[in-house]
Amino acid sequence: MKKHRAYLLFFLCVYSVAQNKQILYGFNEIPQSLLLNPGAEVSNMGYIGVPLLSHVHINGGTSGPTVYDLFSANGVNFNEKFRSVVYNSDSRDFLSANEQLEVFSGGFAIGNTFEKTEYLSFGVYQELDVISYIPTDYIELALEGNQNNINRVFNAGDLSARAEVVSVFHLGYNKKVNSRFNYGIRGKLYSSVVDIDATKNKGSFTTRRGTNNIYEHIFNLDMQVRTSGIASLTSDDNSGFNEDLKEISKRAFFGGNLGLGFDVGFTYNITDQWRLDGSVLDVGFISHSKDVENYVVNGNYVFEGINPLFPDVANGQSAQDYWDALKEDFEDLFDVDTTGTKYTTWRPIKFNGSLNYTFGKKKKKDCDCTTEDSGYLNAVGAQLYAISRPKQPQMALTVYYYRKLFEGLSLKGTYTLDSYSFYNLGLGVAAQLSGFGFYVMADNFLQYENIYNAEGLSLQLGFNYIFNKK
Amino acid sequence: MIPRSIKKPCLPLILVLLFFSCVKEVDFDQANDLELTPVMSSSLVFFDESASSFVESGSEIDIIQEFLIIDLFTDTFIVENLVKAEFVFLGKNALNRDVNLQVDFLDDLDVLVHRFSIEQEAAVEGSEVFTEYIETFEGDTLLALKSTIKIVFTLRLIAEDPIPDDITGRVELQSSSNFYFKIAAAE
Repeated sequence: MKKHRAYLLFFLCVYSVAQNKQILYGFNEIPQSLLLNPGAEVSNMGYIGVPLLSHVHINGGTSGPTVYDLFSANGVNFNEKFRSVVYNSDSRDFLSANEQLEVFSGGFAIGNTFEKTEYLSFGVYQELDVISYIPTDYIELALEGNQNNINRVFNAGDLSARAEVVSVFHLGYNKKVNSRFNYGIRGKLYSSVVDIDATKNKGSFTTRRGTNNIYEHIFNLDMQVRTSGIASLTSDDNSGFNEDLKEISKRAFFGGNLGLGFDVGFTYNITDQWRLDGSVLDVGFISHSKDVENYVVNGNYVFEGINPLFPDVANGQSAQDYWDALKEDFEDLFDVDTTGTKYTTWRPIKFNGSLNYTFGKKKKKDCDCTTEDSGYLNAVGAQLYAISRPKQPQMALTVYYYRKLFEGLSLKGTYTLDSYSFYNLGLGVAAQLSGFGFYVMADNFLQYENIYNAEGLSLQLGFNYIFNKK
Repeated sequence: MIPRSIKKPCLPLILVLLFFSCVKEVDFDQANDLELTPVMSSSLVFFDESASSFVESGSEIDIIQEFLIIDLFTDTFIVENLVKAEFVFLGKNALNRDVNLQVDFLDDLDVLVHRFSIEQEAAVEGSEVFTEYIETFEGDTLLALKSTIKIVFTLRLIAEDPIPDDITGRVELQSSSNFYFKIAAAE
């Protein structure tokens, strides 16, 4: 792990990556590629996604330890493995999971009858996004205690995690300006079902040599967990699972905490064979005002021990008064305040960009010449992906080869460098038969050999009915 | 057109790639073996007093006693997970008196369950005397600690016979505790 990291830092200077859909990006036969770049070139006249099956996406990853590192049945004592995993991780290592399910989607070309240069697309999808950094300082304090860590500053900010479930309603507009330039924009309405945000923790705990006593313990805590949509589900008034389910479905359809956002993107054909494109997705926020419950721990305190024999007699304080005051100080320090202060969260912004080169036209059987009107059969390119995350952005670099095998069947193979691994090979296929389209794609093939040792896996698939250009 | 021989195996091949994945043997029950063994150090009592603190209305005080009600040691977490404790005392005495600190541990019935005391000898010709004392709680003494809800501190000044001059100098005591835990994930 350490070794990987050193190399990766060399290449990217940051860690990488969640929610990367490097295979789907630019795979324009698939209507859902418009969700990754609203300004992509659209190759169909319209489409209807098969409800609940038009886009299923799951992705999970870890930049640090794998399940196999910890749980392999290899005879090594679990405590040894646990310690080795902890000491080989740092507080920027994370676990993340993302899931998206399109409820429905569709699109159609608009414009004059002869040349439709505009395209509208719309849909609803549900998304779950979870990221948790590994709180290494907390774990190491629990493993070792402070005795061998005098002067060490244990960072309270190591506890950083976020989880959200949202429904997204979107409407996109795509315009072909001329044969070279395409742009698009998509407006999004977010309805938050549940949100947990513990990314704003600050502070520290330090033990050092004291002046009045052997040690002084310095507590400096500024911690908060903000939640929306959780309190009503866990409260006693809410009696059953059915009610919870009713509540959740209400929130999924505009009943939750609402937010707004947008995606923008473009495609620019530099020459007939070179293409540059890019997009920025989920520039948006959710305002959490309903069903908000926040937990706050805030305080500074220096503890040097107690002086029971010589309390502040001048102020008439007895030893017990002194002790009680001290206990109160500690209780205040760790007292969890519950508040209902509304808050705003930003969606993780994503950036995609790629440079592509297409080549190799189809040869006609009868004349050893190429067909003029058909496009190129091959493409190679490099894609860059970045996503904003609580501690620092994550990035991934992909190179790919695309091949149209024949009308109705295309393949795309990818090789991606990110923090999960250096061996990330992906493969996607899009097939179409009489307008009925199917696609499936997955990455990290080399790690399928032992899934428990995988640092990241993602899978996307979907079914659409596509109306092709005549 | 692409020959049928290529076309046919294409999809099945991909599906096989996607869904044919292996796992090597893992054992999630191992998590039950997890054991944390932190050693927490904490400051305890301290004082730093000059001779004048031991004089009241012109006469010398030779005993000071205070007690604290403490519910820390009987806490379930401590009772279940604490396997050893040490109290470390560092003294520095420049008083022309011996100083004795006696620490008594009493349970909820006010019964004495443990006692130790720290002697700090009087300064020799004005130069301070350093003391180090460690009280270890293991076995029976640990059980005694875990039943303690009251600690009584008794500080005595012991003068040589015949009683020397007026009390002079100062006395200092610092202390810390080391709590050794063994916290098992599964009981």
